Amino acid sequence: MINGNLKATYAADEKIADNRYKVSFIWGLAALAALLPIFANDYIILVACQVGIMVIAVVGLNVLTGYTGLMSLGHAAFVAIGAYGVTLLHHAATALSISDGLQPFLTIPGAMALAAVIGLIVGLPSLRVKGVYLAVATLSANFIIIFLIELDAFAPWTGGKTGLTTVDPSIFGWVLDTQREVFVLIAVMAFATVLLVQNLFRTRVGRAFIAIRERDYSAEILGISLFHYKLTSFAISAACCGLAGALMAYFYARVLPEQFELLLSLQLVAALIVGGMGRTMGPVFGVLVIVLSPELLKVVLSAIAGDSIEAAQFRAPLQEIIFGLLIIGFIMFEPLGMTQISDRVFRALNRWPFARG
Amino acid sequence: MGQFLQFAINGLMSGAIYALIALGIVAIYKATRVVNFAHGYVIMIGAYLYYTFAVLLPAAPWFPDLLFTPAWLVEAKASAQMFSPEAAWLAWLEKLPRIVFGLICAIIGSALLARLIERFLMRPLLGQSNFAMIMITVGLISVLSGAKSMIWTGDAASVPHLAPNPALRFEVFGSKVFIFGANLVSMGLALLIFAAIVIWLRRSSSGVAMRAASEDQSTAYSMGISVPRVFANAWVLAAATGAIAGAILAARDGVSPALGLFGFSVLAIVLMGGLDSFVGVFISAMAVGILEALAQWQLGGDWVEITPYVAVLIVILIRPHGLLGQKEIERI
Repeated sequence: MINGNLKATYAADEKIADNRYKVSFIWGLAALAALLPIFANDYIILVACQVGIMVIAVVGLNVLTGYTGLMSLGHAAFVAIGAYGVTLLHHAATALSISDGLQPFLTIPGAMALAAVIGLIVGLPSLRVKGVYLAVATLSANFIIIFLIELDAFAPWTGGKTGLTTVDPSIFGWVLDTQREVFVLIAVMAFATVLLVQNLFRTRVGRAFIAIRERDYSAEILGISLFHYKLTSFAISAACCGLAGALMAYFYARVLPEQFELLLSLQLVAALIVGGMGRTMGPVFGVLVIVLSPELLKVVLSAIAGDSIEAAQFRAPLQEIIFGLLIIGFIMFEPLGMTQISDRVFRALNRWPFARG
Repeated sequence: MGQFLQFAINGLMSGAIYALIALGIVAIYKATRVVNFAHGYVIMIGAYLYYTFAVLLPAAPWFPDLLFTPAWLVEAKASAQMFSPEAAWLAWLEKLPRIVFGLICAIIGSALLARLIERFLMRPLLGQSNFAMIMITVGLISVLSGAKSMIWTGDAASVPHLAPNPALRFEVFGSKVFIFGANLVSMGLALLIFAAIVIWLRRSSSGVAMRAASEDQSTAYSMGISVPRVFANAWVLAAATGAIAGAILAARDGVSPALGLFGFSVLAIVLMGGLDSFVGVFISAMAVGILEALAQWQLGGDWVEITPYVAVLIVILIRPHGLLGQKEIERI
């Protein structure tokens, strides 16, 4: 029996999943996602859709924060741009009498492009400031964008504070009007995003991002244009969040501006920290923890306290506290996140029975 | 002109409170190089503590009566005209014991909270990357806001003002200006505390220790300065001033979870002034206060909430380190 990482060719060395445990893990996840719409009940589909949407958004944040080293506390704004953008583009496409079945092929890239453009604008301060200053600049941008969405002057388009009713997409005449059908779209998109972003970091652009993260001035001296690559990073990251927003609009019957406030931005950052920054699977693990822990809490609380009103009252604050403790706990005790734990497991499996840990 | 003056005065009054809150963020940053994203939520806890000790506890049946109302006060109150300045003074005098008790307890409670945060969340990460400590304060946002909704389930409530609250009317340049007494006293109090603490940091030995630690932690340590104590002092200082600011804000706007979000606009103000400059932060706090009042006057109340954020974005793009902040020099 061969254990460890034996590689006989360069091609094998350059593979993304370089040992069979990783390969089987990935295929297992894919099979699970494929089986879910057939067997799972509505509740599981609901949670799985939330996971998928969040994964796409956190992968976007990972490009910026994890790989390029620019801190952002305002990514919820890009999700909002995606959600509102895709809905408004659908209305525009209908007005231009483009057939329903083709609309998503225009509106989803359109919403992503719109988010990327806004991302370029929000990213402008990153050329002058970094660290905390950038975090506050993006936080400010988040507040301003949500404020503009809620503004009465734009209310005829955005619906103001009451939100916007979204459309059900139709792909070549297949109308995705149930959550189960939208889940298929979300799962495909989530897999595609994770794979594309993973491959981005095997290209010149991706390596430039990593160089900027390690030391931006050194990278500039080596000939990497900070102006060019920081803004590219912002655009890619915002486009991913825009895609997540578009899917969110398809998934929910209505989008409200308060869905995209600070709380969502913090959730994205928390998922990234819990999962592990600058790692491909980081967003996936992180989102699983962040989305599933409230559900777990729900189960535990109802097992302990039954369906009493007091328990329900305590649930929301308790959820908030656990969410904060997750961030704090991971930073203090496992700063590299869930991927570090999974690495340990994979390594142990891979070397078994000769070495553990 | 009269209206402008009215709004400018309102702006200065809220600017002073901004400055008082910003003081806490700057003190923590100067001592520990950590930007406290959760400061607004520490203030919110301070405000709720004031509410508990000044309103909730004195109303409890088992609580000793803090209202030792002398007979002359009752008499004077009965004879005073409704809404007259005398009535406002008497109402304040009657509540004074509660206010003092509430404020002292709020300060002590907030200081304890700050000690706990510093000891159990910040100190273990001493010497780690700054990013980790900042993200811990981000995590604290959720913990504090969740803890608040767990302990105080009620909705927004009103609390007594720190100072008597008669309406004062002036005649300036032929136009009427209208100020609430409590707001004026709060402004004075905020400015006084701000000045006192800045002077204390300049002159006292613990202030000098704090500045030394902010220059270079390890050198300060080797010179016999207890850096952990400096950190604890900074957090306690921030929480104590925050509790006073929280009590002022709670009396002005009512205690509500919205106080936490207030902290983010103060964070914007701090970055606008320069993270390590008390003078710069003071100037930007006043400027944002006035800008907010002008935005309210010209554009409507909604615009007030984004004024600090727009201002900070503009300032950061022109001066990346704030108005008077020290430029960080990076070596490769």
